[in-house]
Amino acid sequence: MEISFKQEDRFSKVSIIFGFFMLAIGGLFGLLQLLTRTPYSPIQLSPSLYYLSLTAHGVSLAIVWTAFFIMAIATFVISRELNVNLNKILLNLALGLSIIGVLMTTLAILSGTSSVLYTFYPPMRADPLFYLGATILILGTWIFAATIFLAFIKWRMKNKLSIPIATFGILTTLIIWLEATPGLAIEVIKDLLPMSLSNKPVDVLEARTYFWYFGHPLVYFWLVPAITLWYFLIPKLLNTKLYSERLPKVSFILFILLSTPVGIHHQLVDPGIANQYKFMQSVLTYLVTIPSFLTAFTLLATMEKSYREKGGKGLFSWIKHLPWKDSVFAGIAFSLILFGFGGIGGIINTSYTLNAVVHNTTWIVGHFHLMVATAVTLTFMVSSYVIIPMLFNKAVMFRKLAIIQPYLWFIGMTVFSLTFHIAGLYGMPRRTADVLYGGYAPQIWIILAIIAAIGGVILWLSGAIFIFNAGISTIKGPRIAMDAGSLFEHNSNDPTILDRISIWVILAFVIIIIAYVLPFMQIYSRGLSPAPPVPP
Amino acid sequence: MDKFELVFVIIVIAILTSFLSALIYATNFGYQPPTVCSVYPAVQAFKSGIEEIQPGIYKVRVIAERFYFDPSIIVLKNPKKVIFEVLSRDVLHGFEIVGTNVNVMIMPYYTATFTWDVPQDLKGDFLIVCNEYCGEGHQIMYAHLIIER
Repeated sequence: MEISFKQEDRFSKVSIIFGFFMLAIGGLFGLLQLLTRTPYSPIQLSPSLYYLSLTAHGVSLAIVWTAFFIMAIATFVISRELNVNLNKILLNLALGLSIIGVLMTTLAILSGTSSVLYTFYPPMRADPLFYLGATILILGTWIFAATIFLAFIKWRMKNKLSIPIATFGILTTLIIWLEATPGLAIEVIKDLLPMSLSNKPVDVLEARTYFWYFGHPLVYFWLVPAITLWYFLIPKLLNTKLYSERLPKVSFILFILLSTPVGIHHQLVDPGIANQYKFMQSVLTYLVTIPSFLTAFTLLATMEKSYREKGGKGLFSWIKHLPWKDSVFAGIAFSLILFGFGGIGGIINTSYTLNAVVHNTTWIVGHFHLMVATAVTLTFMVSSYVIIPMLFNKAVMFRKLAIIQPYLWFIGMTVFSLTFHIAGLYGMPRRTADVLYGGYAPQIWIILAIIAAIGGVILWLSGAIFIFNAGISTIKGPRIAMDAGSLFEHNSNDPTILDRISIWVILAFVIIIIAYVLPFMQIYSRGLSPAPPVPP
Repeated sequence: MDKFELVFVIIVIAILTSFLSALIYATNFGYQPPTVCSVYPAVQAFKSGIEEIQPGIYKVRVIAERFYFDPSIIVLKNPKKVIFEVLSRDVLHGFEIVGTNVNVMIMPYYTATFTWDVPQDLKGDFLIVCNEYCGEGHQIMYAHLIIER
């Protein structure tokens, strides 16, 4: 029986277009703020506009672009791979709330009253609209998650099969989101909204701990869908099967278990949290790198296998024979390479002895641009070259631009991120409108800042090419008939212990409780020290 | 588990174990992240100042407020060890002595106390920057540490 996915596809189309729109806005603000903090650059915004731009850059890219793209592919994958319809009313409600939430927050940021950056640490106070928008967005995403889980349960009732890999990845993503967001919800409802509406004083250590309880799993909320796309697209592009069908599921489960009880590694230099708790969460963070390592292994092994299957020989010649002229493959391969460096950087960041050198320096900015801005964003961009034809039945218009684009991103990001890492080792602080410090700044900062800005401009150019190509293809691309269902194979394997997701979720909550009960007990038993709000 | 998977897992374990060993080693033989703090109302009596409590051992109390540090110039003669106590009176600030491993969050209405073992040959003028966004003037919030030998 053919099922129509018109409703689901309409959701995905609106969601992905909104995501592209926010990517364009966020990229523009990114360029503006980067040039402002670069000495001798032709564009110099005022400090208040710099912090406004930085807030807009962080919120629109880290939160909005990623979330909307993820909702689009989640709907696409779940409906097609499981061959089920999603609840229309819930789906539209989720979309409506999410967009309204984003518009409210955007309005608050653009009004200039809410330049609190995307971490919005209290007691710096933004407009109530900023927090209300965030709350409504979270509500929208919760309804979205519920819609997906309802569809999954519907499928599971009828099919006693092992869960297909892409679906497994999407479910993992949403489980992580549901593990993480209560932390943010508590912070916003208990502290930030009352602070903004009625000047309630807020304890910063408590609020930061709730924020980072949410803030680190947020990283895996971005990353797991990207990894899912790697697992899904790489075998198709190379015309082979994954090296292992089991290992990807093992990594997803490890992400479910370990992505949340690690947030304190963002608070390693916060006073008021005992060293043994910092140590415990550092060790848990080491462990959460294991699924990333497994992912890298599975994908590299798949690439090598595909060459050997065709009779290839030699130790490394498989690398040369990969389809580097395919924009989707090249983009994913670059994502994977930079993800590897970012991963090692992450282990450094969580080692608190090393973190003392790099905390809040540009090293950190360099690090997460390898992760969310490359492993995630570059993957999402090149995947769009596959998804746009599926959703819109339109071919990508400029093939050559589509090939150049991931290469430019890779070059730009390598220059930008490498120099920001090095500058971080020299102590250059992040999040500052001016790095000169009245002429006392080390000379090396200025040189590195300028080189990084060149990388940033290349990045922006690549992003602009993408937005232009993707935008114009969805509108004016030549019509093609695509059967999206043909992308998905339907397996008939029996479920294993790996498919019993509820067990892993319960175990995850046990680990989270163990990791967080003691730090919170310490914070509360000492007594809170609330500070009155201050406008930015 | 096949042969290649096993080899890879061994490499991963080796990487993680080396980082963990380095962490434990460094924790036991030197660096400790800032942990000790006091909260309201004890922080009300906090006053900034520099005090040499024993020869070469200094106690430096710093107040961070938008957009300056008090004291804004810290001069130390032949310091071996510095016990810092820092407090913010308004929002979150950072306290980073550029070129050293002194890097701490300063939270409002919390003091942070931590010790810095000064490297023997360290001398000169060091930039102290606020490295957490604290408002429109964040980029002008800095101070000096001058070490004389």
